[in-house]
Amino acid sequence: MFHGVMISLFTAKKEFKIRQDMLRGVYEENLSILGRGRPALSRRRSFLLKGILLSAVFSALAILMLDQHTGSLFVPAKPTAPISTIPVRLPPASVSAKLTPELDKYPLLPAVSVTPEDAVNASEFSAIMNSRNVSLMRMLGLKIKTIMIDAGHGGSSSGTTGKMGTKEKDITLDIAKKLKAHLIKSDLHHVLMTREDDSTVPLLDRVTLVREAKADLFISIHLNYLPKKNTNIIETYYFGSSDDKKTLKLAEQENAGSEYGLSDFREVVEMLGKTMKLQESKEFAESIQALLFLNSKKHDEDLQNHGVKRAPFVVLLGVDVPSVLVEVSCLSNPEEERRLNSESHRENIARYLATGIFDYLNKGARTYEAKR
Amino acid sequence: MKPKDEQKEDNVLFVGIDLGTSRSAICSSNGIQEWIESYAGWPKDFIAEQVVGKPVLFGAEALQHRLSLDICRPLERGIIKEGIESSERAVKEIIRHLIDLAKPEPAQKIHAVVGVPADSLKVNKLSIRRAVAEYVHTLMVVSEPFAVAYGMNLLNDALIIDLGAGTIDFCIMHGTIPSEEDQRTIFTAGDYIDEQLFNYLIEKYPNSKFNKNMVRQFKEKFSFVREINEQIRVELPVNGKPVMHDIKDEIRRACESILPSLVETTTEMIARFDPEFQMKIKNNIVLAGGGSLIRGIAEYLQNALKEYGTCKVTCVAEPLFAGGDGALKLAQDMPSKYWETL
Repeated sequence: MFHGVMISLFTAKKEFKIRQDMLRGVYEENLSILGRGRPALSRRRSFLLKGILLSAVFSALAILMLDQHTGSLFVPAKPTAPISTIPVRLPPASVSAKLTPELDKYPLLPAVSVTPEDAVNASEFSAIMNSRNVSLMRMLGLKIKTIMIDAGHGGSSSGTTGKMGTKEKDITLDIAKKLKAHLIKSDLHHVLMTREDDSTVPLLDRVTLVREAKADLFISIHLNYLPKKNTNIIETYYFGSSDDKKTLKLAEQENAGSEYGLSDFREVVEMLGKTMKLQESKEFAESIQALLFLNSKKHDEDLQNHGVKRAPFVVLLGVDVPSVLVEVSCLSNPEEERRLNSESHRENIARYLATGIFDYLNKGARTYEAKR
Repeated sequence: MKPKDEQKEDNVLFVGIDLGTSRSAICSSNGIQEWIESYAGWPKDFIAEQVVGKPVLFGAEALQHRLSLDICRPLERGIIKEGIESSERAVKEIIRHLIDLAKPEPAQKIHAVVGVPADSLKVNKLSIRRAVAEYVHTLMVVSEPFAVAYGMNLLNDALIIDLGAGTIDFCIMHGTIPSEEDQRTIFTAGDYIDEQLFNYLIEKYPNSKFNKNMVRQFKEKFSFVREINEQIRVELPVNGKPVMHDIKDEIRRACESILPSLVETTTEMIARFDPEFQMKIKNNIVLAGGGSLIRGIAEYLQNALKEYGTCKVTCVAEPLFAGGDGALKLAQDMPSKYWETL
């Protein structure tokens, strides 16, 4: 009898404790919604993996750079000649002609120069790039049929977390979905996403998805986190080497979870030699950055333009089509975190990204018209 | 924890609100339980205002007069469509109306806990707070399945599946506040069934006239999975004349369209849990939300999970108020010091 009473008392006490913990948990969660919770978690760090990965990227880049001068290892120098002597008989501007879908719905601002960055000189095709106004892609009349949108992080990889508890993976997914909806409206492209829900998709799988879908354009959406600065910035990356420590740090963070092995790198690094990708990625990044920044600036006067940069992001390295990684906002800024929690702000970001994509696609039209 | 009678002295009305895509409910500490369809509508013009006689209509009444109204179902997929002015306005109106239904006394403080679909918490928590904050003194937002679990005392070793209109939310309870890993949301829910049923009926009866609202009513009245021994016939106009239509197969097909993802996600959720406790969870699966009223769905799930061992699936007794009840219980149990600082 006594034993039974003791057991039931113990059970009741245990349940009371569980309830108290839960109530405190609810309270703390709501405090964090109000931005008064515990400090935000920083990005996940897996130093060993990132260290290996980053070393691999730099080794690969170093080898490639060496190769460009010696003309030996991966990319044969031969293709240069035939391509550079292709008769300039431009194909119909298939990229351009149809690419004016509902542009009046998207904010168009005058083009501005983005932050200066190094010239693309990582390939033996640099002469073509520097001397011609027409990119290889358009010269060859290649079309953009399929666009792949990559919502950064997801599932077990939350990315950054703001002070209110807002997770990068949730915001990027929502913006990606909204961007998809905008692009689909034009009815000109097949639009796909690397993830459509809160699932874990390793970087290698994202690259595989792009390849298998035969995507022609790739945009990866992320949020920045600058804990020491109370600023909001926008910056856009395409693949390349960088000496900037902050950029390398960011690449280290965004590359977390890559499942590339060292042996894969020889193959993927060869892709760096593809001038077309570099040319187009640079132009694509410029369009995205210019339009996203100029339009976002309307809502945030303090927004800073950190321009177009090159960085060794694994997800960009593995994709062999024009590709960019855009840091659309800065989750460490409390005011910006609040804005990111509003549907309209995320909708605006998606709209400006769509504008940037349409701007890039329409560059073909302008170039072709000028040529004629 | 502050004793409840001491809290009463503070002249506080505690309310639990279940903000749903299809229906929203309120349960309050004065014993009132009410629900409305999550619709709000405003007269289209002066004439319409004269006809309906109110500046804003809610729920079934709004649906009834929908031809005269700009009608809004603002919680599509459980998320406030902020940025679209009418949606945010509609949510506020719905909240205001629900709180009016709870009949608070003048000068009485209102402490509210609002249960929302788990996915809403991720990116729309501020919008939800804004919409509710105007009409209460303090509030807390929680995920809907967690509110259900708390209300039913399912704090440990249980899986709650809240089958809503916009989403199905899964939540594993293991003696602590569920983390993100313990929760999943899928979107093949009640609205998806409506779409499927609408398409099946158009395909089968191309000459018959019906709309999505009628289809939703058919679903709510007749929904079932597996087999039932009854005819399901409804009257639909063909060239203006009412004609009886057999829709049993279409109802079954539409309702069963959500089952694959339901079973898959359930097994996934259980499988990712500590193997030592998987058996306990399998024997404590609880279905909540309007979808739990689909006849045969608990048995179907139980049967589908049998190959993974014995399991027990039950449905909450009152799906309409389970979320609101749980939210109210949370509100009442919450220590007053927590309310004060929010």
